[in-house]
Amino acid sequence: MTFSYNLLKSFFKKGFPKPKELAEILTMKAFECEAPIKTGSDFILNVDVLPNRPDCYSHFGLAREISAIIRKKARLPKWKIKEERKKRVESFAKVKVFFGSSICKRYCARVIFDVKVEESPKWLKDALSACGFLPINNVVDITNFIMIYLGQPLHAFDLEKIEGKEINVRWAKKGEKILTLDDEIYELDEKVGVIADQKKPIAIAGVKGGKNSGISEKTEIIFLESANFTREAILNSTQRLDLKTEASKRFEHGTVLSLAPMALDFAAFLMQKIAKGKIAKGKIDILLEKERKRTIKFDSQKISQVLGVEISERQQLEILKNLGFKKTKKQFLEIPDFRQDILEIENLAEEVGRIFGYERIKATFPQLILAMPEKDPQVFWEKEIKEIFKAMQFTETMNYSFLPERAIALLGVPTEKTIKIKNPASFEFEILRPTLLYRILENVKKNSPFFSEIKIFEIGKIFFKEEKELIEKKALAGAILGDKFFELKGYLDTFFSRMGIVDFWFDFYKPKSEILNLKVWKESRCSEIKIGQEKVGIFGEVSQEILENFKIPEKVCLFEIDLDKLMEKIKAEQEFQPYSFYPAILRDVSIICPQKTLVDEILQILESCGGPCLIDVDLIDIYDIDEERKSLTFRLSFQAKERAIEPKEVEEIINKIFKEVEKNPCLEIRK
Amino acid sequence: MDFKKKKSELLGKIKQVKELKELEIVWKNSLKEIKKLTQNLKKISLKERKRLGKEINKLKEKLEKDYQVKKQFLQEKAKEKKEFFDITLPGKKVELGRFHPITLVKNKVEEIFQSLGFEIAFGPEIEDEWHNFDALNIPPNHPARDVLSLGKTFYLENKKLMRSHTSSVQIRYMETHHPPIKIIAPGKVFRKDAIDATHEIEFWQLEGLMVDKEISVANFKAIMEEFLKKFFEKETKIRLRPSYFPFTEPSFEVDISCVICQGKGCQTCKKSGWIEAVGAGMVHPQVLRNCKIDPREWQGFAFGVGLTRLAMLKYKIPDIRYFNSGDLRFLRQF
Repeated sequence: MTFSYNLLKSFFKKGFPKPKELAEILTMKAFECEAPIKTGSDFILNVDVLPNRPDCYSHFGLAREISAIIRKKARLPKWKIKEERKKRVESFAKVKVFFGSSICKRYCARVIFDVKVEESPKWLKDALSACGFLPINNVVDITNFIMIYLGQPLHAFDLEKIEGKEINVRWAKKGEKILTLDDEIYELDEKVGVIADQKKPIAIAGVKGGKNSGISEKTEIIFLESANFTREAILNSTQRLDLKTEASKRFEHGTVLSLAPMALDFAAFLMQKIAKGKIAKGKIDILLEKERKRTIKFDSQKISQVLGVEISERQQLEILKNLGFKKTKKQFLEIPDFRQDILEIENLAEEVGRIFGYERIKATFPQLILAMPEKDPQVFWEKEIKEIFKAMQFTETMNYSFLPERAIALLGVPTEKTIKIKNPASFEFEILRPTLLYRILENVKKNSPFFSEIKIFEIGKIFFKEEKELIEKKALAGAILGDKFFELKGYLDTFFSRMGIVDFWFDFYKPKSEILNLKVWKESRCSEIKIGQEKVGIFGEVSQEILENFKIPEKVCLFEIDLDKLMEKIKAEQEFQPYSFYPAILRDVSIICPQKTLVDEILQILESCGGPCLIDVDLIDIYDIDEERKSLTFRLSFQAKERAIEPKEVEEIINKIFKEVEKNPCLEIRK
Repeated sequence: MDFKKKKSELLGKIKQVKELKELEIVWKNSLKEIKKLTQNLKKISLKERKRLGKEINKLKEKLEKDYQVKKQFLQEKAKEKKEFFDITLPGKKVELGRFHPITLVKNKVEEIFQSLGFEIAFGPEIEDEWHNFDALNIPPNHPARDVLSLGKTFYLENKKLMRSHTSSVQIRYMETHHPPIKIIAPGKVFRKDAIDATHEIEFWQLEGLMVDKEISVANFKAIMEEFLKKFFEKETKIRLRPSYFPFTEPSFEVDISCVICQGKGCQTCKKSGWIEAVGAGMVHPQVLRNCKIDPREWQGFAFGVGLTRLAMLKYKIPDIRYFNSGDLRFLRQF
């Protein structure tokens, strides 16, 4: 909100700070204020008045605040109005407020006649321009000026245009329309408060005036309204009509009942002085709700305790007195009517704290019993997982949780399983991601022109719907660029072992076994990762169709793991395993088998015959003999724990293996 | 006896050789000696001959092996002196694995606060209105609710939403734990915004909450100063300015002395020497009551920091869009 330095200064006799100093004081004690901007002989201050302080939405309000900070009195100028004795306000117009106090809590008005509508004097135009208002004519300018000066929005009607000279405050009827001063048409309904004459709305109450009753150069009789509209009514109107004005902003945050008649009289005084109007005798003042005096229990000890600094009761009371609080009975303070935000002792702590100065509160460590924080295993393991992937030379990425519609279509996720954003930031971000893989593929594509080797991973939430329930899960996913299925399998092997999981294995991919059934995989080169019988993830090559869609020229291998499920399976302990100091004996065994034999089948024979002394099996060579047959060479390591293993023993085991292999007519030992 | 002596003599000789020329001579001599030994075999009994013959063969093998090893070693040694070796050739490229800068910052923040006794808490990213708004003293029709909910929050079905701040975790934690409470909650938050160099729709926040019998503004200052000092690894000043949040009272904005220019004035701090970094305050009594905690008995502070913003300050990252870019040219710098 913009303020004129000169106008603020006008409330003080002397001792008012220089513009720059004022900006600093305000920033540290009340509201953030930008560096003052010099314009002509004035300075403009941009003050970020906090939303709980509508009492400072005017120059007088802010001056009152400054006065409490600098401890100098802020005074309003004195004025006196001269009323015409013969013509009473009631002879000009009648006012009726309907629906109790739901629209309006107080309605004050005066009538001023014989006005001369013309250009405003220079001081008035300057003051308005400084605060960002366009000067229009003296009558409208005065109403705007009162608003920025005192904080009370006013509205001036051309009384001669009001049918029946009757002013009704009521809810609009469905279908009623109004053309506002800025030539916009609004359709109204029963939730919008209006000012109406006998026939039609002539203003949206507290928001904007109608064109049909506006002030023109020909206007001679003014009906000047100064009302207190309820926050609720104004909020309804602004939301329904999507229309906000300087007036509605003030009403929305709440104005004070006592301000309406005072501002009205001051406006009338200016109309008389500037527009040469005559003020009809008396004023309309319909009060539907009384302002109750509010008090609050004062507890200087609690205030000191909240702030963490000893401030004497005397000093606290002085600060609060300067802010307008009055001491009443013992331990109770009367809250000034303009401070609707004060409800509890903590509010007083804020008042005392900021005026006393937060910089004067010394930083002190709390005196508490030392207790080690509880460590959440999930936090620990997430960190650990990231460490492992980093050690395997993967780079961590983080991506948006939102996907475009086309991504969902491409992945083949049924739309009833996806969660839509009702008000997305743009079409790029319409759906919550049901998988991390889409953005990871985007990452691969984006980086492939610059990097020949890409190894990336991400940990993040994925979202989908199950039986109308919104599900949020943590997932781990990643990618390797290139024809590197077995490299990725090796990384996953290392990862699961490192997590202390012994019973993980890689099963064949079964399409449609997943909840979301992503159309990402090349089915022949894809595997389900299982722990025991439970599926925890999937990995494999990306299908040609997806690669083409992403325009990635190379193969890509992906994986995605359900981290919530994995977390349940992680075994925490890590114990030292004693290893043998005795030499190991290595033997290579080659087996000829049909092309379609799985390595796993042969491994199982080797491991079951090997016994405890077979400590490791490595597949070291695969060699195609012809189209039907291949030769697999394994390197077997034999070692005993407590002694050196004898070559004889090894031979025995090898023979056992040979016998077992030869039981199968499809297999043959290559000697 | 004789053979054993000979064996250690022969083996010892090869061991002691220092030059290639000498080695060849020793080797030839050794072969001669072996030959002699073999010839001598004829003179002994058949049984002895068999045994000794085996021994001699073993020795021959061993000598040959030693000779070859020694030869190679001496050859290499000879080369060493005159070798041309270009050490200016480039080294083999080794790629390190990397953490996202957010992870780095998050780890560091967690470590600092854990050392101060804070626990790490978290909550869901899909939230309800109670935890994101109502319980935080932002009821419907509240001006702050208006700004947050209509303008800045992503809504899903059934009135669910994407949390717009990590303050929701405060509520979730206080609903399930009784004071004393000391937690931090790092997490992703979502705001409807136009993305540019300083605005994102998805970024990271850090929430802090400490509730006990007498936790004060003075305590908050101490903890915040300590944290910032440890985080930026330099003396960092803070100042508190009055502010307004519905869920704290008193509320303040915490400025930190500019870590880029040390308060001298630069682009980042808009020449003021201060950076607005933390929103904080004393937990509003209504928020405590909403979580069934008696504000007459308990009080404390809460704060919210942009974790993404901390990362930008720490690593001097000029544009927030890098974080969600997935660009390895960015990610491989950390």
